[in-house]
Parts: sequence; C-alpha cells; structure tokens
Amino acid sequence: MNENLFASFITPTIVGIPIVILIIAIPSILFPSPTRLITSRLTSLQQWLIQLVLKQLMMMHSIKGRTWSLMLISLILFIGSTNLLGLLPHSFTPTTQLSMNLGMAIPLWAAAVITGFRHKTKMSLAHLLPQGTPVPLIPMLVIIETISLFIQPMALAVRLTANITAGHLLMHLIGGATLVLTSISPATASITFIILILLTILEFAVALIQAYVFTLLVSLYLHDNT
Amino acid sequence: MLSRSSALLGPGVLQATRVFHPAQPRKIRLGLIPEEFFQFLYPKTGVTGPYVLGTGLILYSLSKEIYVMSPETFSTISVVGLLVYVIKKYGASIGEFADKLNEQKISQVEEMKQVSIKQIQDVIDMEKSQQALVQKRHYLFDVQWSNIYKEVKNCLDYHISVQNMMRQQEHMINWVEKHISAQQEKETIAKRIADLKLLAKKAKAQPVL
Repeated sequence: MNENLFASFITPTIVGIPIVILIIAIPSILFPSPTRLITSRLTSLQQWLIQLVLKQLMMMHSIKGRTWSLMLISLILFIGSTNLLGLLPHSFTPTTQLSMNLGMAIPLWAAAVITGFRHKTKMSLAHLLPQGTPVPLIPMLVIIETISLFIQPMALAVRLTANITAGHLLMHLIGGATLVLTSISPATASITFIILILLTILEFAVALIQAYVFTLLVSLYLHDNT
Repeated sequence: MLSRSSALLGPGVLQATRVFHPAQPRKIRLGLIPEEFFQFLYPKTGVTGPYVLGTGLILYSLSKEIYVMSPETFSTISVVGLLVYVIKKYGASIGEFADKLNEQKISQVEEMKQVSIKQIQDVIDMEKSQQALVQKRHYLFDVQWSNIYKEVKNCLDYHISVQNMMRQQEHMINWVEKHISAQQEKETIAKRIADLKLLAKKAKAQPVL
C-alpha cells in the first residue's frame, strides 16, 4: 500500500532514461501559436482567454510592472495546463515535485525583490515596517517582517506542491476505498459520487494557479512599483 | 495615409477570408471507433455485433486480470465521465462562440476594406468632376468675350449711323439749294402771304356766323 500510494509521484523513467523533461515540454503542444488572422477554434478560444486573463492581471500595474506580462501569462498557462493534464489517469504531474516548484518560485520572487531594492531602495526598506507601530516594538517588528519576506518563496512553492499532491493522493485513496467497498454494494454509490465532487473541486486546480500568480503578482506590485 | 495602409491590407484580407475546404468529419461512434468497423462487422453479426465484441473483451480482460482494477480505475471513470458530460453539454455552444469570435475579426477587416474602397471611389469621383470642370471652363470665357464683342459692335454702329445721318442732311441741303433759285423764292413767299390773308379773313368772318 505504501509503495503503491506514492507510485504516481515517482519521476518517470523509461529503462533508466529520465523522460521528465519531455513530460514537462508536452503541454506546450496544446497551445498552437496563431499563424493567420483567422485561426482554428482552439487557437481563437485560447487567444480570447489569454486576452481576458492578461487584462485582469496587468490592469493594476504601472508601465514598468507590465514588462512582466509575458512571464506571468506563460506561468499561469504552464501551471494550469500541467495541473489539468495531471488529472487524466496514469499521468505524471510535474508540479507535484517540490524541486520544480522551488525552481519556479525562488527566481521570480528574488527578481521582484531585487528590482524593488535596486530602483526604490528606500521604499522597499520601508515596507519592512508597517505604519503606525509604537516605537519600542520596532526592532522586533523589523525582524518579523524580514522573516515573512524570506518565507514568501517557500510559501509559494510549498503551497502549490502540497495542494496538487494532496489532491492526487485523495483521489487515489478514495478510488481505493471505492474499490474495496465494491463487494459491499450500497456504500459504493455514495462514495463514487464523493469522488465526482472531489474531482470537480480538484479541477479548480486552475484556481490554484490563479492563487499562485496572484500572490506572485501582489508581491511584485508591492516591491517594485508602489 | 489610410489608403496606403489599407492597400497593404488588401491582399492580407484576401488570404484571410479564403475558405478552406470544409472538413467532412468522419463518422465515429463512441468518440473512438470509426464507423467503418461497424460496417465491416455488419454482414456477419448484425447491428449488435461490435457492442457484444467490446463487452466481451472488457469482461474477459477483467476476469483474467489482464486489466487490473486499481484505485485509478475509479478516478479514471469519474474524470472521463465528467469530461464526456461537459463536452456533450457545452461542446456545441463553445464551438459557436469560437466561430463568433472569428466572425467578428472578419467583419472588422471587411469593414475596413469597404471603407477604404469607398474612400478611393470618392477620390475617383472627385477627380472626374474636376476634369469635367476644367473641360467646361472655356464656356465661361466664351460668354465674356462675346459680351465684349457685342458692346464694341454697338459703339461702332452708333458712330456709323451718326455719320450716315450727317451725310443725309448735307445731301438734302445741297438738293434744296440746287433746285430752288431766288426768284422762285420771292414768288412762293408772296403767294403764301396772300393765302394767309385769305385765311385771316375767313377766320374773322367765321366767329360772327
């Protein structure tokens, strides 16, 4: 049971050759780049979606912040597509690996913070202290704010990993429960229904991407442009 | 400037609005199996043949544990079931929405094309009317010249008629002097005075009557 439960999270290898890179590159096939003015249905739907999301995301940024739009849109598309593809049976989701999520979170967060420190040093340092704190508390509060600042990339990565992994594990476990309960008939119907509902909720993994990008965005906004 | 940019857009619109040959979707049953398979089995097994074959294969693989029932089976069933449900319910409307998006793009570009065509047409018409105007301008000058001509003619006619009149008067005077001598002049004058006296007597007599 132990081995079987986490079997879907082992990075896949074919006779010792890791094919993870290939698996990470596969979702890009689903996004054809538009070559013509009038494109296929899929491409035009994607264009419309991307326009919608881009508008929502980039509205609150200044000109300088909007240079990040390509990065953020590709981020949301990548995480969304990998999560959704991971819902299919027997598939591997790269975002379940903490290594990958850390690799996404740390550089982006660091870029935001360092940009803020380079161009608006005083403002960035000022963010370390909330307004209106009584004077004796200042040293402690600065330490606390610094810690919370450095926890941000960890929080981003671990949040994504934990959510996706937990979802997959739950589906696996409940499927296993259903399997076992098939010999005891009446309960299975309700459990299958629970699986269905859980899956629908899990398909809001896309909402998790929203959360990811939003958090990243908020931090970028705060550090860079304010 | 607009005509130049829309001239560049013209061939692009032509390429973009070119209709590809409409793909005839091949008939597929259950989303997976082409219709030819069913037609292939029809003579031997009738309508239910392929379905029985499918069910038999599935049950065989399950009973012999060729396909092992695992927890993933149930998640597979739920994922696939959910996807099929969503696609059957919302598939057509999403396709129509995508078509509508493309329709909007085409209509925008069509409108630009029509506007540029209209603009060029207007310019052509204006050119033509300008040319016509230039053609007809000489009429204006003709009228003015003919006016001047008439007035000069009038003036000269007046002078000529004055001269004629003077000449006639001279002729008359010469004729009178030629034909009437001094003697005849006295006689005619005496006669005229006698006539006048008679007339005066008559005039005196009459009011008495």
